[in-house]
Amino acid sequence: MPPAVYDIEIRVAQTLHLIYSSPGEYWDSQCSEDEEPFQKDSLMNLTLAVRLRAGSDLSWISNIQVNQPAVLRRAEQIQARRTLKKEWQAAWLLKAVTFIDLTTLSGDDTFSNIQRLCYKAKYPIREDLLKALNMHDEGITVAAVCVYPARVCDAVKALKAAGCDIPVASVATGFPAAQTHLKTRLEEIRLAVEDGATEIDVVINRSLVLTGRWEALYDEIRQFRQACGEAHLKTILATGELGSLTNVYKASMIAMMAGSDFIKTSTGKETVNATFPVAIVMLRAIRDFFWKTGNKVGFKPAGGIRTAKDSLAWLCLMKEELGDEWLRPELFRIGASSLLTDIEQQIYHHVTGRYAASHDLPMS
Amino acid sequence: MAATHERPSAREIFSTLEYGPAPDSHACALAWLDTQDRLLGHYVNGKWLKPEHRNSVPCQDPVTGENLASCLLAEPDDVAAAVEAASDALGSWSGVPGGERAQHLTRLAKMIQKHQQLLWTLDSLATGRAVREVRNGDVPLAQQLLRYHAVQAHVQEEVLPGWKPMGVIGLILPPTFSFLEMMWRICPALAVGCTVVTIVPPDSPTPLLLAQLAGSLGAFCGILNVVTGPASLGAVLGHCPGVQKVVFCGAAEEARVLRQSLAGHWLELSLALGMESLLLLLDSADVDSAVEGIVDAAWSDRSPGGLRLLVQESMWEETMRRLQIRMKRLRSGRGLDGAVDMGTRGAAARDVAQHYVQEAQSQGAEVFQAVTMPPGSPFYPPTLVCSLPPAAPCAQAEVPWPVVMASPFRTAKEALAMANSMPRGGSASVWSERLGQALELGYGLRMGTVWVNTHGLRDPAVPSGGCKESGSSWHGGLDGLYEYLQPPGTPDQPPFVSEHLNYDNFGPAVPATLPAWPETGPSPVPPYGLFVGGRFQPPGARSSRSVWDSSGKLHGYVAEGGAEDVRGAVEAAHRAATGWERQCPGARAALLVALAAALEQRGPGLALQLKRHGAQLEAAQAEVELSARRLRAWAAQAQAQAQGHTLQVAGLRGPVLRLREPLGVLAVVCPDEWPLLAFVSLLAPALAHGNAVVLVPSGTCPLLALEVCQDVASLFPAGLVNVVTGDRDHLTRCLALHQDVQALWYFGSAKHLEGLLARSAASSKVKPWVSSHNPVSKKAAAQQMSCGQHQPLPLPIPGLPVRGMGFSRELQARVGEQGLPTGLGPGAPGGGPRAGAAGSMDQGPVAAYGGLMSSASAPVPRSRRGP
Repeated sequence: MPPAVYDIEIRVAQTLHLIYSSPGEYWDSQCSEDEEPFQKDSLMNLTLAVRLRAGSDLSWISNIQVNQPAVLRRAEQIQARRTLKKEWQAAWLLKAVTFIDLTTLSGDDTFSNIQRLCYKAKYPIREDLLKALNMHDEGITVAAVCVYPARVCDAVKALKAAGCDIPVASVATGFPAAQTHLKTRLEEIRLAVEDGATEIDVVINRSLVLTGRWEALYDEIRQFRQACGEAHLKTILATGELGSLTNVYKASMIAMMAGSDFIKTSTGKETVNATFPVAIVMLRAIRDFFWKTGNKVGFKPAGGIRTAKDSLAWLCLMKEELGDEWLRPELFRIGASSLLTDIEQQIYHHVTGRYAASHDLPMS
Repeated sequence: MAATHERPSAREIFSTLEYGPAPDSHACALAWLDTQDRLLGHYVNGKWLKPEHRNSVPCQDPVTGENLASCLLAEPDDVAAAVEAASDALGSWSGVPGGERAQHLTRLAKMIQKHQQLLWTLDSLATGRAVREVRNGDVPLAQQLLRYHAVQAHVQEEVLPGWKPMGVIGLILPPTFSFLEMMWRICPALAVGCTVVTIVPPDSPTPLLLAQLAGSLGAFCGILNVVTGPASLGAVLGHCPGVQKVVFCGAAEEARVLRQSLAGHWLELSLALGMESLLLLLDSADVDSAVEGIVDAAWSDRSPGGLRLLVQESMWEETMRRLQIRMKRLRSGRGLDGAVDMGTRGAAARDVAQHYVQEAQSQGAEVFQAVTMPPGSPFYPPTLVCSLPPAAPCAQAEVPWPVVMASPFRTAKEALAMANSMPRGGSASVWSERLGQALELGYGLRMGTVWVNTHGLRDPAVPSGGCKESGSSWHGGLDGLYEYLQPPGTPDQPPFVSEHLNYDNFGPAVPATLPAWPETGPSPVPPYGLFVGGRFQPPGARSSRSVWDSSGKLHGYVAEGGAEDVRGAVEAAHRAATGWERQCPGARAALLVALAAALEQRGPGLALQLKRHGAQLEAAQAEVELSARRLRAWAAQAQAQAQGHTLQVAGLRGPVLRLREPLGVLAVVCPDEWPLLAFVSLLAPALAHGNAVVLVPSGTCPLLALEVCQDVASLFPAGLVNVVTGDRDHLTRCLALHQDVQALWYFGSAKHLEGLLARSAASSKVKPWVSSHNPVSKKAAAQQMSCGQHQPLPLPIPGLPVRGMGFSRELQARVGEQGLPTGLGPGAPGGGPRAGAAGSMDQGPVAAYGGLMSSASAPVPRSRRGP
């Protein structure tokens, strides 16, 4: 065994011991440090082991309480309590751009519109606007491009042509309904990874949640995790179809225990998509999971986020519930297609003082 | 604060992701102040009143200290002018049909809607509260209040026929939340036809703006008058002829002073004291949501006072950890900033908080503050104080804004005991996902309002008030209306007492009595002694007093009770009260009916005794008969009256339960007249509604009451009814000074009693119900009875209808609507049913109720809309 790996093994063993003997102390030690305990990439498999060991404990979801009216109330309040104006608004909006998973998930997607999307991903805001804000050298791009599995090749090709390393995310596992056989769902993941997707947005099997088969759900997501290999796993909970906030919390926790890198609200294809109450419950689950294991899991709302104002509200929500450390693309994404246009218009207004006509901004 | 720094570039913000200032413009508020030349006077009779030669105080921006305007301090003359304007307006305002008043209130609501920006900007600027709360909370609620009460004004004449507005209402407001507190109280007062004179603290211009908006409607100018000045002007206001009622909101200490200075006046005083709230967090709670509830209750500028937090010990660590992390995310700042959670309340509030926290620290408390403010900063950070057991002096004191005082408890039962041992009883919330547990705690808490899994929800239709030291006034809903209404039959002009009285001389001790003979008492002689704890006991003083009949002969002896006996009686009553309260109304009714039957059995003997005391035989027989009927009538009422009901409130998520609860132990001092009927008429309603009683029977003829007690002894639980004979004044004094008596009904000279109450330490505790009116002349009443027209109200209608601590007037409304309760017969021909006919109790049943607001305690899956 190479010494480096052996060393890591020991550190993992120590961590595990600490987690199980005194989780509070472990968490405190995590809080005091700014960085994560280990480098994530090199430790992917071993931190996974930590999660799986932790995941064997279903008591994490059996005693939870979620009060729906209280969560709804908090959701109302949180949107009214933070406002951003002037420079702050502009800077936050640019930050929001870097969180976007620029998405197209349509039946009529072809290479040409995927290519347009990829170039928009590379150049999300008009160059002169960025210059005016002195932000042109920050390398602002969106976080990822998200497409159907069959279009991954197109996206990889287009992004390569554009000369950037924006990751390609692919939805998978029978998106959006997940009502296909497990075997084909797993195969979908493998094929997408083969095609060059480095992030996989899988969608969970809602029937397992609604019938309370949490172990089965855990096993499925673990298999997704294994199928992903090196690729990041984002687990879509399709919260609009889970029936209750308590189920949302439990599904979030199971998804994290099974090794998801992100948990994501919805596919964008349900009748109800990313809402604040659901997000609050998921964020609380992420925080609880972090406190229990020391692992930071990312969050991705998707569906229905269309305006710049919405995006700011989501950033504020993250900052309020989880803190600044979650405000980076590794831990926060916004799945959106038309949001970018609105943000660009707001930036235009901030820079010029005028509202843009649609022909002022390049289309995606 | 941040505005003074150099503005960071977008690039810097991009990397730090800090919040920036998001100031709202306050130009409109300054422009309005400019229209007054930055000098605010009083708003009286639709005009600005700026008398010369008055002191003024500056109204400052609490954050910058910038002088916004000067406010004139009122002198007694100004208050008198305002009262005169209100009195002048009273005739026309109360004279118009309710529909017209409704229209006027609706117009005012629209006026507020049109000028809401000015209203919220001015309020936030002057008070320092976060503008978000004023804009999204207070201003819409003010409009809702006006609209709700406009509807009430519309229907009041049909729903409560014959009820009259009390007249001119004096209102004294606290320094914080003056605008909303004013709306809660003026809306019902105006709706029923009262006119209002308000004294607001000098640095709160919003009520003045509101009065100006009301004045600009043109008609009915004098109905709302606002005078700026210190709360000490309350006494002046109360002494102004024409003022019928003074409503005080603010600190308990000021209320005590006010009560003392108003003692002896025929004036109703209603108090809303203290601002502290309570939050109970159980192990079955959604802790994250409960933490938000704590933020709502203490650190969001939504509630005026601090918060007492009780957390189950098993959840303590987790709660504290989550709470502290949440505290780190709270932002304090200028109220007119769109991105702050909490503004400031000025230097005075900051100093109070600072002092409290220092005291707590010196007594051993742990204090957590997420940020430290530089010295001299106008802000005070959100503060968590814990580990201070109840015995520490600081733990007993009222928790100030913005402090949360946390203590652990072990079991729900212990939580209830801890919560109920606090002297304040304003509002509380219970956090538990177990519905049964939450409701049980909700029922058990001695609080005006209990929320379940939420905190601080308000709605115009939901009455809110207090228990214990938090005062006795209710606002909102129908209960808010009753505060400003007089039942039919109340004398128009109660006498105005102005002479100075020395209350120390009221019944200080038992006067010495000498034995007399020969004794020619009734046969069989009722047992000798005080009826305490279910049996006849010798008095502590071992002395007796003689009872004389109308012909001047010695009738017999009764025991001479004293302070010690009163104490024993109250203790016995408390022991019995809990069990009696839990009895179902049917069981209570059955016992009252049984007592009625027993009374009829004793009828001839009782009638003979009454005759000996000067009644004609027919009248005496009628009195006995009527007494039995009264018992039956109250039995019926006890059964007919639901224990509480659900309010349908669309604005709140979840139902609202309005509960009626007995007050506890009542002290009743019976009048000398109508020895039997008065005794029974006062006893029956108290028992019917679940109270235990300590009675002082008629001084001239106490033997009748003792005779009835022989039946009480065999029928009722021991200690439920206690009869203490002796010197009336002295016993009254003892009862009034007993802290654990929840109400006192007194027939006699009100001035004496009010004085006593003013002196008693817990001035807001006891709600006296006092009457000194002479009853209908005995002869006339007797004639009526002999004619078979049972005028059911031989007892006086009180000149001072007391809005008791949670007194419910609900029943009275029903009497007015449906005629007399069964068994009492019709009223005098043409007279119509009289309120209070259901007994001597003009106030109807005695009951305190807490509004129990409940949010659905479990997430409800929705079929259509997912969460």
